[in-house]
Amino acid sequence: MSTFGGLNTAYTGLVAARQGLNVVGQNIANANTDGYTRQRVSTSALGATASTGVFSQGARVGEGVAMVGIERLASTQLDSRVRATAATAGYTAVRANAFASVEDSLNEPGENGISAKLDEFWAGWQTVSNGTDTAAPAALLLGTAGELVTQISEGYRAVSTEWTSVRTDLNNMVSELNGAATQVAALNVQIRQSLATGGTANELLDQRNSLTTTIAALTGATVTEQADGTVNVLVGGNALVSGETAHQLDVTGARVMQDNVSVQLEWRGSARTPVSIDGGEIAGALSLLGPASQDTLATGGALAEAADAYNSFAEDLAKKVNDIYETGFTQAHNDGQVFFAVASGAPTAQALSIVPKASADMAVRASRDSGAYDSTIADAIAQLGAGFAPDGNVIVSPSTVWSDFVTKTGVLTQSELQSAALASSTSSGAANQQLANSSVDLDEENVNLLMFQHAYQGAARMMTAVDEMLDTLINRTGLVGR
Amino acid sequence: MIDRVTNQTQMRAAQRNLQENLSQLARLQEQASTLKTINRSSDDPTAAAAAMSVRAEIRAVDQYSANADNGNNWLTTIDSALSSATDIMNRVRDLTVQGANSGALTAAAKEAIAVELEGLKTDLATQANTTFLGRSVFAGNSDDATAFTTVGTPARTVYTGGEGSVDRRISATSTVRVDADGGAIFDAPTSTGSGSVFDLIDNIVTDLRAPTAVDVGAHLTTIDERMAVMVGQHTEIGARQVQIERAQSTLLEKAGTLDAQRSGIEDADLGQVILDLKLQEMTYQAALAVTARVLQPTLMDFLA
Repeated sequence: MSTFGGLNTAYTGLVAARQGLNVVGQNIANANTDGYTRQRVSTSALGATASTGVFSQGARVGEGVAMVGIERLASTQLDSRVRATAATAGYTAVRANAFASVEDSLNEPGENGISAKLDEFWAGWQTVSNGTDTAAPAALLLGTAGELVTQISEGYRAVSTEWTSVRTDLNNMVSELNGAATQVAALNVQIRQSLATGGTANELLDQRNSLTTTIAALTGATVTEQADGTVNVLVGGNALVSGETAHQLDVTGARVMQDNVSVQLEWRGSARTPVSIDGGEIAGALSLLGPASQDTLATGGALAEAADAYNSFAEDLAKKVNDIYETGFTQAHNDGQVFFAVASGAPTAQALSIVPKASADMAVRASRDSGAYDSTIADAIAQLGAGFAPDGNVIVSPSTVWSDFVTKTGVLTQSELQSAALASSTSSGAANQQLANSSVDLDEENVNLLMFQHAYQGAARMMTAVDEMLDTLINRTGLVGR
Repeated sequence: MIDRVTNQTQMRAAQRNLQENLSQLARLQEQASTLKTINRSSDDPTAAAAAMSVRAEIRAVDQYSANADNGNNWLTTIDSALSSATDIMNRVRDLTVQGANSGALTAAAKEAIAVELEGLKTDLATQANTTFLGRSVFAGNSDDATAFTTVGTPARTVYTGGEGSVDRRISATSTVRVDADGGAIFDAPTSTGSGSVFDLIDNIVTDLRAPTAVDVGAHLTTIDERMAVMVGQHTEIGARQVQIERAQSTLLEKAGTLDAQRSGIEDADLGQVILDLKLQEMTYQAALAVTARVLQPTLMDFLA
């Protein structure tokens, strides 16, 4: 080592400490930046220069410190765990929200639900049966029946509105996904360039990481890292982003629930290949939007099936009441009347209307010859509420059909809410672990700050020592006896 | 590093804990303010189903009680009408017995009896046309204004009602007949002929006024037969009234039981909920205080 070598060593120390301080500054500045991953200066000791020449001999000291780079302290494993759990959480959250909203629209159990209105409806028939001689009981029943029909129709509308809202959300999610894919491709290019030129791309990596997490939460995508620093994002086994190319997705199919066509995700392009995904918010939305299945396993779209349940309930109610009502005679001796009319062209739940308008239109007499105040038919219809057919046989009351639907919805909602809560806690656990690894700890940064400060002071002190040594050598040597 | 704790993780954990505390608090607040443990069916699907069926039954029992009340009023009306009718018939019998004593009676006395009998006939017709809330209780399902109408010359009182029975449902499986068959009571043929009770009185009056003395005592058998029918029907009405009154008390009891059941399924225990709420409030406040304390200091506070 040359005489001035010590100065250079101290200088590398100063530079390293200063860089260390700068990185601490960057960490502290970004302590609360979303998606920021803490960074560290990585240094390595410089070895001694090779011994050359005849006279060089003996042990040599190293040449100081060299800055190798600025490391980004992320963990690939934790990142991929965050992505996987976000996909499950997204899937369950979308489903749980839709179920909870359908359930809320039921208003059950309570005084404002359809079941209470049904009880009122059956009681109304009893009242008619008690008082065929006055107009009031019939008017009361017709009013109750009108409210019941409105409530059934409102319930159906709530489901259909929820469908439309999920459908709109799906479009927005796919737009967001396409945007994120384009951004990831652009970042891939930038990252590859800056890594190839030996620079650091830590902040770009942070950005890309939050984008891929968003994509995973939407679609359950998997991310594979490439040697050149780019990532490929695979959705349903095919590349959404590959290097600098981003592909786009489209949603096609029904725009409103009544279309009864499946909604599906497709790759944009001439082939329009469908994408099948099983995780993420988009998959959750797709699972809700499917048409109702015809089999009894109820494997179709949850919303369409709830709407179907409304329809079959309305159909069942109208049929059971009409079947009995048709056998009755009005005061004008007409039979074959209907109580509920079902308009064609609309879903049954929205197509019901009440045919009789006043007490005189009511066909509650058992036969052409029975007395004017006979009300056998009204009693028979009221008995439907208790689950008895006119012949005394036990049948399934429309009230039971309804309460079965409510219970089924309740059970489904409960299990969706539970799995959503579970998935959300798993996902926040994963995010927490990721944060525990990558977030900035102010105490730690403070300690590092002190460490680098002291290192800087030490290096400066070293410089002073060398300076004094040189001063001694140059200015004070050879002055003996002067 | 698995156990690394940073300000951010600490902050997030604190936030999550506070959020959990708050949502628990909101849930308890909902329970305390609605006093219901089941506010939607997913809270407890089984209990929600039970609650719905109990509510349906409560409404049904309520309606059966209304039916029974209405039926009881019908039967009470009939009961008092039949009591009066029986009294009138007793008087008719007395007068007939008097009238039969033909040797001792002057024509004027017979005429007096005949006039009274005519009056009694009108009274009996009034009883036979008794209405409840505007409906003839002896007319079945007929919509005629009265059960018995006076028609023709000479005027005859004829039965116009009787188209089926009037029933009231007192449970899902049983009904009670609440009208009385006016035809059977006042109009049915007897062993001595087919005329109604009004025809009978008319006949007695005619016989009393006959210029040649006729023995009105011959009508006593028919009167007795009529009265027997009336008493028989009256007894039956009484039996039905007992049945309906028993149903009323059973329904009342059942309504109470059902309400207790509904309350047991749906209603929150106020004391329990308030205790839980207070406890949760305390937990939340403690969490807030601890969070405020824990999140403040960093190493910076202690470095000179």
